[in-house]
Formats: sequence, C-alpha cells, structure tokens
Amino acid sequence: MTVASAVQPTFAMPSPSDGQPRRGSDERALVVLAQEGSNEAFAALVQLHQRRAYAVCRAIVLTHEDAEDAVQEGFLHAFRALDRFLPDQPFGAWLYRIMANASLDLVRRRKVRDADELSESSPAPFRDPGEADELRRRLTEALTRLTGRQRSVIVLHDVEGFTHGEIGSMLGIPEGTARSDLHHARATLRRLLKDVRSDI
Amino acid sequence: MTTKLTMHNDDDDVTRGLRALYAAPVGEPYWNELEARIMARIAEVDLGWWAELDRWARPALLAAAVLVLAAGIAMFRARQVETQTAYEHILTPSPVPIETVIRPTLEGDREASLRDVVGHRDRSNGRP
Repeated sequence: MTVASAVQPTFAMPSPSDGQPRRGSDERALVVLAQEGSNEAFAALVQLHQRRAYAVCRAIVLTHEDAEDAVQEGFLHAFRALDRFLPDQPFGAWLYRIMANASLDLVRRRKVRDADELSESSPAPFRDPGEADELRRRLTEALTRLTGRQRSVIVLHDVEGFTHGEIGSMLGIPEGTARSDLHHARATLRRLLKDVRSDI
Repeated sequence: MTTKLTMHNDDDDVTRGLRALYAAPVGEPYWNELEARIMARIAEVDLGWWAELDRWARPALLAAAVLVLAAGIAMFRARQVETQTAYEHILTPSPVPIETVIRPTLEGDREASLRDVVGHRDRSNGRP
C-alpha cells in the first residue's frame, strides 16, 4: 500500500479553521505505513496532528517557543516509539500523551536551569508588553498564581476541550485530580478576577 | 458596554481570554514550516544498528525464552530420571543381603571367632 492509496480518496487534511485531526481507517493506514518505514506517511500524521499537539504542549509549557520545541521533541519520540504502537489504539491519545510527557520534561529541565541561574526567580511566561486589554493583562497575572498543573488542566479543558479523563491520562494524574485541579483553577481565577470589568 | 466578568460558560470572558492567550499560530505557512522542521529532525535520526537491534529484539527474546524453557525442561527431566534411579536403587532389594555376605577367605576366621566367643561365655557361666 502506498501513502497515496492510503490517503486517497477518502483522506482529508484538516482545514486550517478547525485544526482537528481526522480519525479512522485513513489514519490507521497511515500509522501502519509509517510503521513500515514510510516517512511520507509519518509526515502526513505530523500534518494531521501538529496543531492539536501544539495546543497540548502550549497548555503545559510557559512559552510559544517552548511549545514548538516540545512538539518537535514529541514527534521525535513518537517516531522512535512507533514500532511499539498498536494500530488498533487511538493514535491521537497515544501521541498527545507523548507530547504531554515531552512538555513536562521540558518544564522540568527549565526549572532546573532557572534554579541554577537565578534561584526562585519567577518566570514571566505571559508578559506581553503590547497588550492593552485589562482582562488580558489581569488574566495573564492571575494565571501565574495557579500551579503549573492547574494551569495546564484549565487550558486543556476550557480552551482545548479535552475531557477530565483525557487530561488525567495525558498528565499522568487520576481523573478526579484533574477535576479537582480544574475546580481550584476556576475558583482562583474567579477570586482574582472578580473586580475585573471587560468591555464587550 | 461594560459588563461584569463571567465564567463557566463556553463563551465566557475568561475562556475567551484564555483562548486569546493560548491561541495557536494561524496561517498555513507557519504549520508547513513546523512540519518541515519536524521532518528534518526525523530525517536526522540515525536509527542505525539500534533500529536493527530493536527490530530483532522481540524474535531474539522469544528464541531466548524458548531456549531457556527447553533447557529447563531438559534439566528437570534429567533430575527426575536421576531421582527415580536413586529411589529404585534404594527400594529394590539386593539379590543377596549384604550383611550375610562374607568373603570366603574370612570364613574360617569367622568360625574361629565365634567358637572363641561361645567358649568364653560358657566358661564364664561355669560350664566345662
């Protein structure tokens, strides 16, 4: 089987607007081809999943640049581990777990590096000098008051739409913990932003 | 219009703010370039003999497991046969009881010793 035959005629690339990977037999066919050594098929999988993979990484790391690094590392890990993937499993769930692990590794490395360079200096991940909007500024500040995991959970849930179970699986925490983190994150943001007024 | 901040709805202010903060880059060129960078790094991956090793790891492990199993069975059987032989050797009676077998060359000495012992006992009991 070739990539072309796997992809055509039913295979459709995600549109830029939705950015959601298509799932199903096409994807499975691509996975099988990639496992057989087709870089072209793996490239198609990258194309399918990179937006969502970026979103997962971005929810965990602190900056856009780190998210890019984590995405690349994640795909590299996935490529190396492809032999061990069973095609009957959902590829996305497997891939996003790898992405989350790559991101968490990167966060750990950053922490060690930051501790070495300047102990206890809080990173400024959300600083955007150009932002004028009050809500955006206050939200940025409020997010730094959450734990890294709470921030990841609220972004993965409220922004990316992952379920508690999916988040738990990605971050290696029980579903109940993800639910609890989400609750605490929302409560903290509500408390910190209660006096903010937003122009709509 | 100024409104109070809202939360918990799909389309609330905070969620909108979060979406804006965490928005992924837009535009196909960016994603095409990221894909190219990812594939370039993958092309650099020199799987080499590690990949070959990995490819052969499972069959090799399976073969090793079969060998270990076969060796284990062979050892078990050998031990079983050995044990069985030892039992049989103990349980099967010898054709001639060992204690009654006397070397013919010692037969005369035995008789003499027996006579001496019996005679000594008789003398002790006062018999002539």
